[in-house]
Amino acid sequence: MSYEIKNVWSVLLRLFHWSLVLSIVTLVVTGLYINTPWTNTTLEGSVSFPMATMRYIHFLAGYLFAAAVMVRLFLYIFGNRQERIFDILPVTPRNFKSLTTTLGYYSYLSDKHDERLGHNVLAGIVYIVTFVAALFQLSSGFYMLYPEAAFWQGLGGSIFGTQQEGRFLHHLLMWYFILFAFVHVYLVVWNDLKSPEGLVSSMFNGKKFKHKNV
Amino acid sequence: MQEQASKIDMNPDISRRGFIKSCTVAAAALGLSEAMIPKLVEAAESAQRPTVIWLHFQECTGCTESLLRGSHPDIGRLILDIISLDYHETVMVPSGHQAEKSLHDSMEKNAGKFILVVEGAIPTADNGNFCKISGRTAMDILAEVAPKAAAIIAIGTCSSYGGIQAADPNPTGAKGVRDLVSGVPIVNIPGCPPNPITFLGTVLHFLTFKRLPNCDNLGRPLFAYGRRIHDHCERRAHFDEGRFAEEFGDFGHKNGYCLYKVGCKGPETFSNCPAARFNDVDVWPVSVGHGCIGCTEPNFWDSMTPFYERLPNVAIPGTGIIADADSAGMKILGVAAAGAAIHAVVGIAKSKIKGKEKRER
Repeated sequence: MSYEIKNVWSVLLRLFHWSLVLSIVTLVVTGLYINTPWTNTTLEGSVSFPMATMRYIHFLAGYLFAAAVMVRLFLYIFGNRQERIFDILPVTPRNFKSLTTTLGYYSYLSDKHDERLGHNVLAGIVYIVTFVAALFQLSSGFYMLYPEAAFWQGLGGSIFGTQQEGRFLHHLLMWYFILFAFVHVYLVVWNDLKSPEGLVSSMFNGKKFKHKNV
Repeated sequence: MQEQASKIDMNPDISRRGFIKSCTVAAAALGLSEAMIPKLVEAAESAQRPTVIWLHFQECTGCTESLLRGSHPDIGRLILDIISLDYHETVMVPSGHQAEKSLHDSMEKNAGKFILVVEGAIPTADNGNFCKISGRTAMDILAEVAPKAAAIIAIGTCSSYGGIQAADPNPTGAKGVRDLVSGVPIVNIPGCPPNPITFLGTVLHFLTFKRLPNCDNLGRPLFAYGRRIHDHCERRAHFDEGRFAEEFGDFGHKNGYCLYKVGCKGPETFSNCPAARFNDVDVWPVSVGHGCIGCTEPNFWDSMTPFYERLPNVAIPGTGIIADADSAGMKILGVAAAGAAIHAVVGIAKSKIKGKEKRER
């Protein structure tokens, strides 16, 4: 039972990951505030701008989120082997097998663990869905931020309809991201306990421990 | 010029001063410079007043009521000086066959030149049987009159986008004019009701420049629907500074704080209400303490309700249940947490049963 250290995640991917974490947490907290402001000052002229401040932080975090999504798109095409999109789509026999093996492993139906360097394909598919959700979240967000700009009005109007419909989808997708973050953290910890390979720390140092015979 | 001015002076109800004032208000609404006012006046007082045919379909006559209460221009000045209103069921003198005759006479005489104003949605289900005037369906009447018009003004949200009749499940198949007519320029003046100033501005724009004003992607003139209500609201400072009415009649409401938390849809709605205001007494819903309900937007009966909450409810697929978006989100998250807990417990139970032998790999 000997292990070797493998380099898996590039610096750019790790930066992407933690930017995404930071932006999602910030966006959810400030977004919930913007939807249902829980402070209600009654003192007028009190030099406090809670809504304006929350909106400002929300927009900053939104730009960070947009940058992170663009970096991920770059890595899907130009990243290392584990980061490219064809490594995580069930388009090859090897990847399709990874999907079925992982489904069996996660549901305790089999003990066979698909030991891969990068993502397993089930996770990969969920990340693609999340990537598409992020594109919708970004376009609905910019549609609301620049309602009078012809570009966003045309794009948002044709995808979402009115501002209110864009806002509604923006809000529902927020719940998708909360759900995704919860399930993601649970499964990463679960995997780390079940088959130790340094999965959690790999997102900090980019390295995984793999069995030598694999 | 002198003749026309004296012609106007002959009508005791209409002063020259009031007439110029109307044109100035319209120029301001259109965002035109004061240098353009003489051109608007010239267009409005030309001897050849444009013929207007006004059709009523599925509607409440609220748009007409709003126009009757307008003061810039008042209805008398509008139909005596600015336009020639040949057919309008609410204000016309003839009735029955005489009314139908005046519609057809005017339509034939001014074919290709008249402005058609449509008020109310057009039902299309069951061949349009839900709305009939003198034995003919609204669909038939529109199909006959619309191609002969020079331009169509859809006044009100119903004729623009279907309005309340088109609210889910839309039993009569109500549609707006733009869904049924093509080949004729159409401008939408949505609102429930729209501001008469916006209507006058559009008419004067057409008279002065011989074309309809620039519109957004929903066919609404940009001079009136180019900006968001929220960005011009007199309560906006309260929004930014976090002062909200929590419920109607509370401290914040009495002090004129922002109505966002009691469901105001100003942030999602495009209209000139905060600038143009209504009825010559400078009021609009938000100024009298009621949030905007988003009446100038398509599907507002579906997407803006509940009117006193920020977001529409979520329909949970396959259950017929509708719920508040946040409580639905919390429940789904709860189910996911329960699922994760069960998953973890199953894993622990399984490893207890199977023992530790798996570890020795």
